Amino acid sequence: MKTWQRSLVMACAILALFGGVAYAQTPGSPSAEFPYTGNRTAVWIVAQLHTLFGAFVLGAPIFIIISEWLGYRKQDLRYERMAKEVTKVTVILFNMTAVTGGLFIFVLLATYPQFTTWFINQFYLVFAVIYPFLFISGTIVLYMYFYTWDAWKGEKKGRHIALGVLLNLICMITMFVINGPTSFMNTPVKAEGIPVQDLLAAASLWDKIANQSWIPLNLHRIDGNVAFGGFVTGLIAAYMYMGAKTQEERAYYDWMGFVGSLIAVGATLFQPFTGLLLAYEMCDYDFSFCPYMMADQLSMFFEMQGAMIGLLFLAMNYYGWLSLKRIEGAEKVRMTILAPIVMVALPFVMVAVMNIYWIPDPMSLAFLVPLILVPFLFGRFIPMTVSARTVIKIGFLVIIVSDAIWLTPRGFVATGANMAAGLELPSDWDILASMPAKVSAMFSLVFATVVNYFVYNRAIKQGTILWGKIDFTSQFVLIFLAFISIWTMGLMGAVRSLAKKYYHTYGLMPDFTVESFTPTLSYSAWWITGITGVFFTVVSLAVFVALRSSSSKVREPESSPVPVRAK
Amino acid sequence: MGNVIKKLVIGLVVGGALVGISSALEFPFVFQMLYFGFAMLGAVVFMLLDAPPLRTMSGRKSVFALVAFYILLLCTVCIAGASFFPQFDPEDEKGKIAKILKPQIDASEKGKTEELIARAKALDEQVKALEERLNLLSGGQVVAEKPVKGPEPPPIKGSSEVDLMKVGEEQWQLMECYNCHKLKGEGGKKRGPELDNIGTLLTVDEIKEKITDPKSFMAEGFEKEWEKGMMPGKFKDLMEPADIMALASWLGTFKNTSVKTPRPIKKK
Repeated sequence: MKTWQRSLVMACAILALFGGVAYAQTPGSPSAEFPYTGNRTAVWIVAQLHTLFGAFVLGAPIFIIISEWLGYRKQDLRYERMAKEVTKVTVILFNMTAVTGGLFIFVLLATYPQFTTWFINQFYLVFAVIYPFLFISGTIVLYMYFYTWDAWKGEKKGRHIALGVLLNLICMITMFVINGPTSFMNTPVKAEGIPVQDLLAAASLWDKIANQSWIPLNLHRIDGNVAFGGFVTGLIAAYMYMGAKTQEERAYYDWMGFVGSLIAVGATLFQPFTGLLLAYEMCDYDFSFCPYMMADQLSMFFEMQGAMIGLLFLAMNYYGWLSLKRIEGAEKVRMTILAPIVMVALPFVMVAVMNIYWIPDPMSLAFLVPLILVPFLFGRFIPMTVSARTVIKIGFLVIIVSDAIWLTPRGFVATGANMAAGLELPSDWDILASMPAKVSAMFSLVFATVVNYFVYNRAIKQGTILWGKIDFTSQFVLIFLAFISIWTMGLMGAVRSLAKKYYHTYGLMPDFTVESFTPTLSYSAWWITGITGVFFTVVSLAVFVALRSSSSKVREPESSPVPVRAK
Repeated sequence: MGNVIKKLVIGLVVGGALVGISSALEFPFVFQMLYFGFAMLGAVVFMLLDAPPLRTMSGRKSVFALVAFYILLLCTVCIAGASFFPQFDPEDEKGKIAKILKPQIDASEKGKTEELIARAKALDEQVKALEERLNLLSGGQVVAEKPVKGPEPPPIKGSSEVDLMKVGEEQWQLMECYNCHKLKGEGGKKRGPELDNIGTLLTVDEIKEKITDPKSFMAEGFEKEWEKGMMPGKFKDLMEPADIMALASWLGTFKNTSVKTPRPIKKK
C-alpha cells in the first residue's frame, strides 16, 4: 500500500470518528437492527477487532524499540532487521486500527444511539479532541519513524531511537486515555451516601477517567500488549520460517521466533497477577461482580480461561523444550535437585499457607518467599543434581497438576443456583475450589516456567545454538501460542464487558434492550473464534504483503548476518 | 510407535488410579472424568516431548499443513472445548432482568409521558392564544368547544392487595441474595451470615436499614467483610422502596432459633 493510499484510509477513518461524534449529538435517533448477529454481537465483533488491532499497534512499538535499541547496542543486525520487519506489519495494521475504530463508532451509534450519545457526552473532550489528536500524532510519528529508518543510520541512529521512544510515549498515553472510558463502564465514580447521578453531575473528566479499575486495567493491558506484540512477532517468524527457501533465512526466522516468544513469555508471566489485581479492584468496587464472575453466570468462562492458560503454559514450555533440543551440549547441563523438589512441593504448600494467611496478609510471604528462594540460594551447596531434561519434564508434570487444580470447580454447573449433589465437589475438598488454590495453581505455572527459563539460559551458556535446526513442530507451536493467547484475550474481554450485567455503564445506564442477558459460553466461543480468525487472516495477509514480497527479492549482503552455527 | 503405546499405557494407569482415588473420596463422576482427562493430557504431552522431529516442509505442503492445523485448532480447542463445559441458560436470567429493570423502564416511559403532557400543554396554550386572537378578529363569535371528558382510568391495584411475602421472596431471588447468604439450608458461600434466625435478632425496619445501608449493622464474626464493604450498597438504587419493605418483611419472618445467625451489631 502506498503512502497516499494509507493516508486516504486514515483520513476516512478519522472522518468517520468525527462524523460519529457529531451524529451522536442528534437526539432521539432510532436504533438499527442488525440481522443474524443482533445489535450486541455486532458491536462485540467490531469492538473486539478494534481492540485486537489496537493492542498490537500499541504493543508492537514497545517490542520494536527494544529490538532496535538492542541491535544498536550489540551491533547485531538481526535485531535491526526484526524491528524493521515488525514495523512494516505494524504500519499496515495501524490503518486497520483506524478503520475498525471508525466502524466501531458507527455501529455503536446505529445500534445504541441513546447510550452512545450519553457516553460521548460524558467524555466529549476525550472522544472529540484528545483521542483523535493522539491518534493522528501517533500516525504521523509512526510514518516518520518508518520512513526515516534508512536515512537515520550510523551517527543519526540515536535520533531514530528517540523518535521510537516518542512513538511509544504517544501510544502509551493513547492507551491510558481510552482505558478511562472503558474502565468507567465497569466502575464509574461512586461515593458512600451520595446518589450516583448527583456524583456524576459533579464529577470532572479526571474523576471519570481515574476510576477504581483504571490503573489495574492500564497495567493489565501494558503487559498484555507487550505479550501480544511478542506472540505476533513469533507468528510472523513462523510464517516466514515455513516459507523460507534457504537455510540462512530459516536461521534468521528461527532466531526471530525465539526472541518474539521469549519477550511474550516474559510479559505473560505477569498477566495472571495484573488480571487478578483488576478482578480484585472490581470486586472491591462492588462485591456482586465477584460471585457473578467466579461462581455464577460467568464461572464457566473462567473454567475455559483456566483451560486456555494451561494450554498456553504447556505450549510455552514445549517451545522451550524444542529450542533446547537444538542446543549442542544441552544434554550435559545439570541443575540442583532442590529446583524440582520445590517445584513439586510449591502448589501444595502454597494452598496450605494461603488458606491460613490469605492475601494481603504478609505472613504468607514469610513462608513462601524462602521456599521459592531455596533452590537459588542453597542449590550450590547441595551436591545432588539432575539433568536439564529431567527438570523440564518434572516442570511439565507440575504444570498439568496445577492446571488440574485451577480447573477444579466447586461444581460442574453453569451457575451456583443450579448446584446439585452429583455435580458438587465433596465439602471436605472445598479447598480445591477456593481462591487460595487458584492463586497457588497460577503461581506454580509461573514458577515452573521461570525454572525452565533458568535451565534454558544455562544451556545457552554451556552449549551452542544451531539456529535454523529447530524441530519444524516448533513453528506450529508458535502459531498455537499466538492463537491461544489472542483467543484468551477475546474471552477475557467478553468477561470484562459482560461483568456489567444488564448495564451499559454499571449502575448508571441500564441496557433495556432484549439482548441484555448473559450469553452462553458456547455462543461466545463461536464469536471469539470467528473474531480471532478474522484478525489472523488480516495479519497473515499483512505479513504476506509486507514481508513475502521483499523476502523474495535478493537480499542485500548487510541483511544476512546470521551464521547457521552461532550462539 | 513404542513411545506412543508406552505413554498411553502409563496415562491409562495413572488415570485409572486417579479415578479410583477420587471415587473412594466420594468425588462425583464428572470430577473423576476431569482427573482422568488430565492424566491423558499428561500422556499426550509426554508423547510429544519424546516424539521424533517433524521434517521441514515448504511450498504447498506447508500451506496445507498450516490450514489443517488452524481448522483443527479452531474446531477442537476453541469451539468444542468451550461447548464441553456446562452452559448457562440465558432464559433463566431474562425474566429476572426484565423484573429488576421494570421500575427503571417504567420511569423512563413515565418520563416520556410527562414530556408529551408538557408538549400538549404548550400546544393547548398556543391554541387558546390563537382562539383569543380569532375571537378578537371576529368580534367574539367563535366559541371554544368544551373538551370532551375521557373515560376514567382503571383503578390501580393497591399494594395492600399484593402478597407481601411473595414479593419479598421474589426479591430474594431477583437480587441473588442467596449468592452470599444461606437461608433454609440453600445458597450461601460463607461470604455473608446465615439468615434463618434474623427475624429474632432484627426488626423489619432494622433489616430494611441494613439493606439500604449495609454499613449500618455488622454481623458478629464478619468484621473483615464489613470493613471491606462486601455487601453492595446498590440495593437502595436498584430496588423500589416497596420491594425493600417486602424483602425486609419476608426476612423478618425467619425466626429459626436452632440456626446460629450471628448477632448484628449496630454501627451507625
